[in-house]
Amino acid sequence: MLDIQEKLKEIGPYVPEEDDDLLVCRCEEVTKGEIRKAVHGGITTIEELRRFLRCGMGLCQGQTCGTLTRRLVARELHVPQSEIDVATSRSPMRPLAMETAGNDLGNEEKQ
Amino acid sequence: MERIKNHPILGASPAGKLVDFYYDGKKLQGYEGEPIAMALRVNGIMIHRYTAKRHEPRGVFCAIGRCTDCVMVVDGQPNVRTCITPLREGMKVQTQYGATADPDFGAAKKGKGGATV
Amino acid sequence: MKVERKELIVIGAGPAGLSAAIEAASHGVKATVFDENARPGGQLFKQIHKFFGSKEHKAKIRGFRIGEDLLKEAEEKGVEVILNATVIGLYKEKEVQVQIGTEVYHYKGDAILVATGAAENMVNFRGWTLPGVIGAGAAQTMMNLYHVKPGERILMLGTGNVGLVVSYQLMQAGCKVVALADAAPRIGGYGVHASKLARCGVPFYLSHTIKEAEGTDCVTGVTIAQVDDHFRFIPGTEKHFDVDTICVAVGLSPMAQLLKMDGVEMADTRGGYIPKCDETGATSIPGIYAAGDVAGIEEASSAMIEGRMSGAAIAEYLGYMTGEEKSSREEELDHSLEALRQGMFAPKNRGRKIEKTEEGIDISETLLTKGYIADDEIKRFPGYRYEVKIHPVIECTQNIPCNPCQTACRKGCISIGDNITSLPISVKGSECVDCGMCVASCSGQAIFLVKENEDEGTAEITIPYEFLPLPEVGDKGSALSRSGQKICEAEITRVRTSKAYDGTNLVTMKVPTAFEDSARFFIKA
Repeated sequence: MLDIQEKLKEIGPYVPEEDDDLLVCRCEEVTKGEIRKAVHGGITTIEELRRFLRCGMGLCQGQTCGTLTRRLVARELHVPQSEIDVATSRSPMRPLAMETAGNDLGNEEKQ
Repeated sequence: MERIKNHPILGASPAGKLVDFYYDGKKLQGYEGEPIAMALRVNGIMIHRYTAKRHEPRGVFCAIGRCTDCVMVVDGQPNVRTCITPLREGMKVQTQYGATADPDFGAAKKGKGGATV
Repeated sequence: MKVERKELIVIGAGPAGLSAAIEAASHGVKATVFDENARPGGQLFKQIHKFFGSKEHKAKIRGFRIGEDLLKEAEEKGVEVILNATVIGLYKEKEVQVQIGTEVYHYKGDAILVATGAAENMVNFRGWTLPGVIGAGAAQTMMNLYHVKPGERILMLGTGNVGLVVSYQLMQAGCKVVALADAAPRIGGYGVHASKLARCGVPFYLSHTIKEAEGTDCVTGVTIAQVDDHFRFIPGTEKHFDVDTICVAVGLSPMAQLLKMDGVEMADTRGGYIPKCDETGATSIPGIYAAGDVAGIEEASSAMIEGRMSGAAIAEYLGYMTGEEKSSREEELDHSLEALRQGMFAPKNRGRKIEKTEEGIDISETLLTKGYIADDEIKRFPGYRYEVKIHPVIECTQNIPCNPCQTACRKGCISIGDNITSLPISVKGSECVDCGMCVASCSGQAIFLVKENEDEGTAEITIPYEFLPLPEVGDKGSALSRSGQKICEAEITRVRTSKAYDGTNLVTMKVPTAFEDSARFFIKA
């Protein structure tokens, strides 16, 4: 576990970067700057970022941005990428209509 | 973009059945059963939707149903992945603004704060 | 609510999943394969190039044909393949949730094999969300499955095998590839794949990456720029290209979310975030296995063997095979898999710069940075030999596990030996009969037949040719060098097409003798 207080001292305050408006999460349109700011505010795990900014929570479920986000957080925290846990996996793994999720009787009807 | 008529390895492209479909009300043609996104591409249509927050254009990105960037409103249903949904005769395909086919409600106008999903 | 029990549930009908189901079924296991796509085969049907390896790895066979064979075998073995069936959940008790149409089904497997493959990595640059920026896999899907050109003018980002192979396929589809760029200082994929592009005149920009994709509604251009050792742009090095499409091929990541969901132990490795498993793919949960790219990125050829190994292990786990039978089958498969994991591009060498071949020859530096072997470098490799009479010149200069050329030649003109990664030798004193089988069987299109016509001061060079339109006898034009430069006039003297060549046509061009060692492609005037 990271000592967040120590880490935040070490990485210093958020300093804007020229390409902070670059999108990282395409689905939820979350930018590099938003993620960087969140990290400097003490949000250091992918789980928290997902809750706070919704990056990786869109239709594709972080399929594209998962690795990009991890890399960015690791860079910001000055730690190897392997120290940043990947997001928890949950069902459903693909976009699913609410109607389908409620249609959980398939097998019974088919018998 | 063009269709490939003759390919050095795959040979002549299989002949499909041309069907009519509607893109934002305009009648276009594509092969029945090919992904909607392919039929749009050969008709020169690259923009599938405008995003909810930044109102930016998006189109096909992964083409295998993973990235969900190519979603459109198909026969009234939003968020349909056009790269893996087969084209059928008479389909109504609409540009998706945010999560709807309505540019005013969705995302077309900057600063208006369109609907988010 | 109802749950149905299955003996073996395989998730993913790609090369690994199908191979595992076939192997398990051949030992008596009832195997069910779920795949989210409308057709099985995974990415194999997009692979229109010839595979590397040896005969047991289906070398020199094009990927989509391997896919057809796998499907046939699965059918013969009674494997149940359920398509348009998306596995949306997997739990440690081996419960599988599957979405089919608008319903969710529940199954429990006595054994589970996860073979979900990989997803493409991405990089974000200014404009990366514009329509026209696509993954390399998207390009393959459009052109090789649906016969639609992904674009007219394309820039490829990434020079790994995917970037190289897809660039070539784009050219086969009739698109113009304006350049390949890669932030790395060296080409990541096989030199032979790069050389196929370079001799057509496609430039490589190493230590370059995309600065911006330009356009308002869709891509209209791209600017790349050089990067320093820390991957920061170097001002003033920008290069602009007019393109309508940008293809991104910057690696793959295992799609291991289902494995993570079920709670198996995971590991962060150079091959990606993958489950900890033994050589048969057994994870930390008994009865749950993983095979193919989801267990670490490799080639489709390795995925098929890994699948077989898992299939055998599962058959034993379910009691269809004794431990002894399994071990002997495993040993056989392991031998075949190990052969593929040798050479410069082996998983263990990932990211390492290799300066000499196994034979102790200096690697061509030009090949690594520009995609072709310089004229003064080629002669140091054993595939090169000078002779007046017709003979093969094999421009294969990196140790990769591949040997179809050796078996293609019935006259012993090409020798690799038992070590599959050794560089092929053009054998002195051998009698080439101009059958052309070596040229057509080389998956890297790196073999040329050369002969001199002493009396007229010309040389005839036979090159592999996989584009349309095919040149015709009598066509006049220019010979291109390995770097794609027009170097001399050339005339086509022979064109051969045969079923045995499987799409690789043999085109013979006549050039002045002085260019016999440098003319490697033809362009019609």
